[in-house]
Amino acid sequence: MNRTDKNNFASIDEIQMAFAERNYVADRSLALTLKLAADLEKPILLEGEAGVGKTEVAKVLAATMDTPLIRLQCYEGLDANTSLYEWNYARQILHIRMAEHDPDKRTNLEKTIFNDEFLLNRPLLEAIRHPGPRPVVLLIDEVDRADEEFEAFLLEVLSDFQITVPEIGTFTAAVRPRVILTSNRTRELNDALKRRCLYLWIDYPSPEREREIILRRVPGIEAAFADSITNVMQALRQVDFYKRPGIAETLDWSQALLGLGATTLSAELIQETAGVILKYHDDIEQLRTLGAGSFI
Amino acid sequence: MSNDGEPSTGSIEACAIQRTLELCRLARDASLPVTQGRLIDVFRALREIDWTNEDDFRLALRTNLVANREDEITFDRIFHSYWHPSTAAGGDYKPWKPELVRGRKTHGEKRGHEDIATQSEHFGAEEVLRQLNLTGRWDESAPPLVQVIRELAKRLATRPSRRQKSATNGRRIDLRRSVRRNVGNGMELLRLSRIKRRVRKTRIVLLADVSGSMDSFNPFLLQLMLGLQQELKSSRSLVFSTQVSEITTQLRRGTVRETLQEVSKKVKHWSGGTDIGAALRELNTGLLREGSAQSTVLIIISDGYDNGSTEQIEQEMRSAKRRVKTVVWINPMYGASSFEVRAGGLKAALPYVDHFLPAFNAKALKTLVQELASI
Repeated sequence: MNRTDKNNFASIDEIQMAFAERNYVADRSLALTLKLAADLEKPILLEGEAGVGKTEVAKVLAATMDTPLIRLQCYEGLDANTSLYEWNYARQILHIRMAEHDPDKRTNLEKTIFNDEFLLNRPLLEAIRHPGPRPVVLLIDEVDRADEEFEAFLLEVLSDFQITVPEIGTFTAAVRPRVILTSNRTRELNDALKRRCLYLWIDYPSPEREREIILRRVPGIEAAFADSITNVMQALRQVDFYKRPGIAETLDWSQALLGLGATTLSAELIQETAGVILKYHDDIEQLRTLGAGSFI
Repeated sequence: MSNDGEPSTGSIEACAIQRTLELCRLARDASLPVTQGRLIDVFRALREIDWTNEDDFRLALRTNLVANREDEITFDRIFHSYWHPSTAAGGDYKPWKPELVRGRKTHGEKRGHEDIATQSEHFGAEEVLRQLNLTGRWDESAPPLVQVIRELAKRLATRPSRRQKSATNGRRIDLRRSVRRNVGNGMELLRLSRIKRRVRKTRIVLLADVSGSMDSFNPFLLQLMLGLQQELKSSRSLVFSTQVSEITTQLRRGTVRETLQEVSKKVKHWSGGTDIGAALRELNTGLLREGSAQSTVLIIISDGYDNGSTEQIEQEMRSAKRRVKTVVWINPMYGASSFEVRAGGLKAALPYVDHFLPAFNAKALKTLVQELASI
């Protein structure tokens, strides 16, 4: 079971190390889920509040495996055309027009206009047609934003990893892609889809982990300063803001403070830079009422 | 599996399999989605990891057996009490993983971990604790509400989307699809494809007051909750007095009798005191935090008589208002001729309510639906 090639990680520690090399601090539950996803060839469903690093997992995974990342950003109204494949109509029409003057081409026109040359691969088909040898990482981002019909369709793709284009035939994945689905829980996903996935909830990081993330991601920051930033962020997350700040905000804020040349935190500084952490006017007002100083 | 060569391996493995199966059964009993397929995946997963490590064992089982964050917490509890039954029974269960502590603390006072079980064991001072039989409060002779609820659901729970979908009776022509359909005809547009606007479904969160002062409206309340839940599968139903219980899954049972029995079993605080503020707070920090504000309608059914603080109600209503599209307050007392807004809780909440409506029986509900239609 000691496969050290880049397809399957040999151990959980190895995954944690590989992620740490790329400055992503993965906790054990994430590393274990990633390992099982590789071993069982199952997609992972990552849920968590915005800005806790769900999308980043896929990016870092692709980097550690040294393989391309194919990303499908979901939105309301996303359909098979934009996620699977599409015929290049413009070129097809052009081809038909040209064939009108050429009797030879006209006879088997239908065969020629429905082949690979006119097929536009969209993310899902692209991932399935990837020749390998290493699997690609397919990120299906914010799947909760897509319609329920799309979920049903996704189900089909994720269970067999094959896609049929009626005019050409069926494409089956030579190597099954590593699939990561993320969701912000704006709605509950279909049970059938969930059943096919390994599930993991990514929470806000613990103070130790948050500190480590700052130190890794923000070069040149002092450990003591990272400590105080961590403390403030952890305290802020206890407040019932409309939108609680995630780890993405922590990093932005650290960068901003560093850019301002700050080395210690003060109430005024927090209030002045509150726009980096809190994105709603009411939340900033609430911070002012509570007094920024109380978080230091 | 490192100890293949050792003579005792067989028995250790047999024991581990036994334990795993028991844990899976416990998880299934706790309504976790444990299917045969998942069970197989659990064992496939265990082959890949060092299952002698307790933490890895737990995580491998969990990632395969849960479908959302609440399930994760439930599973961790089951796992913990399975291996450490004494601490769980004592009720002083402490999370041994930081991941269990989730945003339940409020600023300034660190109350530590409050998980599902300890919460249900914590009651307000005036709580009436008893096993309730709701079947006695079901009025069999009441006219069926199906039609009214369907109408209500249509008014409240749908809205036209900006997006289009193809439809044979659509008004607009879908040029893109029409062109594609007619490529084979040498671009003569012989068959047209049409589109119309999609209808978006809205999520309804129903928060019903089941405190003592609402007792006389129970038959109507139950009918409304059951009807809404069955008509709108995606809606969520919660009841509150001094604490909050979600009864969505209980309401999905087959017959009325079964449903009422399940609800009686689950809700131990029926006919208790009222704490609207706390109930709203629970919603704001939990259910309403998820989901998009634009697609949520919050329906509160309450008379507004409250033992909590009105400031809290005001603050939580303001907060809730930002998390949902529409707030509807249905007040059963409002129909009475002598009614005036005296209940302090209601007064505090009113500025944030979009529709304040009376409904105390099926007939009043019908009027209500008609009024909604005119809004």
